[in-house]
Amino acid sequence: MMDRTIPEMFHCTDLTVLERQKARLNWQQEHLQQQQQQSFFSELSGVFSSVPSYQSGGGFISGADSELGEVLARAVKPDPGLENGWSDMGFGPCGGYGSGSGFELNYTLSGTSSCPPSVAAEATVMEVKDKMSSAVGRESFKKRKADKAQCPKVVDKDNTKEKRIKGSAEEGDSKITEQNNSLINRETSADTSKDNSKASEVQKPDYIHVRARRGEATDSHSIAERVRREKISERMKYLQELVPGCNKITGKAGMLDEIINYVQSLQRQVEFLSMKLAAVNPRLEFNIDNFFSKDVFPACAATFPTIGMSLSAITDSAYLQFNPANQVVSCCGLDMSINPPDMGLRRTVSVPVSIPETIMDSSCFAQLQPPSTWDADLQNLYNVPFEHGTSSSSFPFQPYTGTIEGSILKVEM
Amino acid sequence: MNNPKLLSLNSTTSLISRFTRGFIQALIRINKQRPVTSSSPREMYIRHRRIKSAADKSMALAVRSRRNWSRAVLARFRKKRRRHVLVRRITTCAMKKRGLENKKSGHKEASHGQANELRRLVPGGEAMDLCSLLEETAHYLKCLNTQVQVMRCVADSYSTI
Repeated sequence: MMDRTIPEMFHCTDLTVLERQKARLNWQQEHLQQQQQQSFFSELSGVFSSVPSYQSGGGFISGADSELGEVLARAVKPDPGLENGWSDMGFGPCGGYGSGSGFELNYTLSGTSSCPPSVAAEATVMEVKDKMSSAVGRESFKKRKADKAQCPKVVDKDNTKEKRIKGSAEEGDSKITEQNNSLINRETSADTSKDNSKASEVQKPDYIHVRARRGEATDSHSIAERVRREKISERMKYLQELVPGCNKITGKAGMLDEIINYVQSLQRQVEFLSMKLAAVNPRLEFNIDNFFSKDVFPACAATFPTIGMSLSAITDSAYLQFNPANQVVSCCGLDMSINPPDMGLRRTVSVPVSIPETIMDSSCFAQLQPPSTWDADLQNLYNVPFEHGTSSSSFPFQPYTGTIEGSILKVEM
Repeated sequence: MNNPKLLSLNSTTSLISRFTRGFIQALIRINKQRPVTSSSPREMYIRHRRIKSAADKSMALAVRSRRNWSRAVLARFRKKRRRHVLVRRITTCAMKKRGLENKKSGHKEASHGQANELRRLVPGGEAMDLCSLLEETAHYLKCLNTQVQVMRCVADSYSTI
């Protein structure tokens, strides 16, 4: 029966062949410790000899197609009942063995079988990132739960071992949780859907769940407070990218100070510039009409180098964010074929937060031109300084394409 | 989450042009209404105030009433124009109340004093909680940046004439 349960775990959690073999080795080691029950096992293995073919077939299919695996797992799901039947059958003949040893075997094996799901979930989280993981997580949890439910059904006595199983299951759970923390809402929703199913069997994967980790308070107030704090820190990060020289400062207070200083300096700059504009005496009387056609555009042309310079500064600071962003974008491009687009979308949005600004700033050159009717030579005038600016600031051109790709990806999604 | 980002991307590119257009029109209007005749300090000061408010207003108009801070700026200008004492009194009362509520709700924050300082700097920030305050600050910073850039280029163009 244990032999039966373990392959099923692997099968359901959609392991790769290697992982399965590893886990099986593990299990065999575990089994070797119980040599006194060798004969019992051989008896059982004789009974189970028909199982592996089916199991490997299922595993193969599940390896080939994850969704199919899910379906298959669902199809197999009724099996716990079957397992119960197996256990009944298995324990019927083994009555001579003494119930203690039999239960022990059962417990140890269920312990091991509750451990692999964490590995399996990890592997699947790595492999099939989004939706599948939630499905798998749910599946594995169901399995685990079935396991737990099954064990007390067989024996109600040993509490310590039960605790151990629970502990291992929780460990797996927390492992998954830790991994999921780095990933985003979807996983947490999967996670919390598990949590939900723990509390009640209702699963709502579309919610944005916030899950309390171990040792954290779970009442709604503290969860809301945690959400608020996360939001604040997210915005702080965003502001950190906006404010130059804020990258090195750690701590909220210092950052706020820097932000305040920056806002003040900008406001003072506006003040100063308006003063300057008031001081200069523009004799506009004679060329007001020409102002838009002539004066503004040289002004803009004059700006663009300066903007270009400031842009280069911005992009230099943002360059560090550019590369990972590119990588992420390319990663998303790779994943896009496999993943449901939801995940990739969130990836692109959450990680390269700084991209929109840089795109905005760089694309303003291109997008400002059409509305304001430029002269051709003005364009040339403008193009030259821009290129000069880029070359002088050693601004690589590749990031542009990368970000454009990213934006295209975003648009496509 | 994605769409607003893209929207803000598009709107920020057009925001520059919108602000530039509005600001230059306002400047021309100011120069028409009150051509520079004397360089007395008082005259200069009035001109400076007008240009400053024109810059603020055109910035807020360029953003439109999408953001809290632009709404606050626009409301301030509207208030200034109307000069209804009663309205002002009511709104200041409301502001005071909101400020009190803020004090009640946000007393746990470690960065309380700094947050208040930031509230004073960002227009309309008095009635915001820290979360939205930071968001508004980010947008306001971006707008201020563009404002400074455009104003600098306009000033450069004026001084070179």
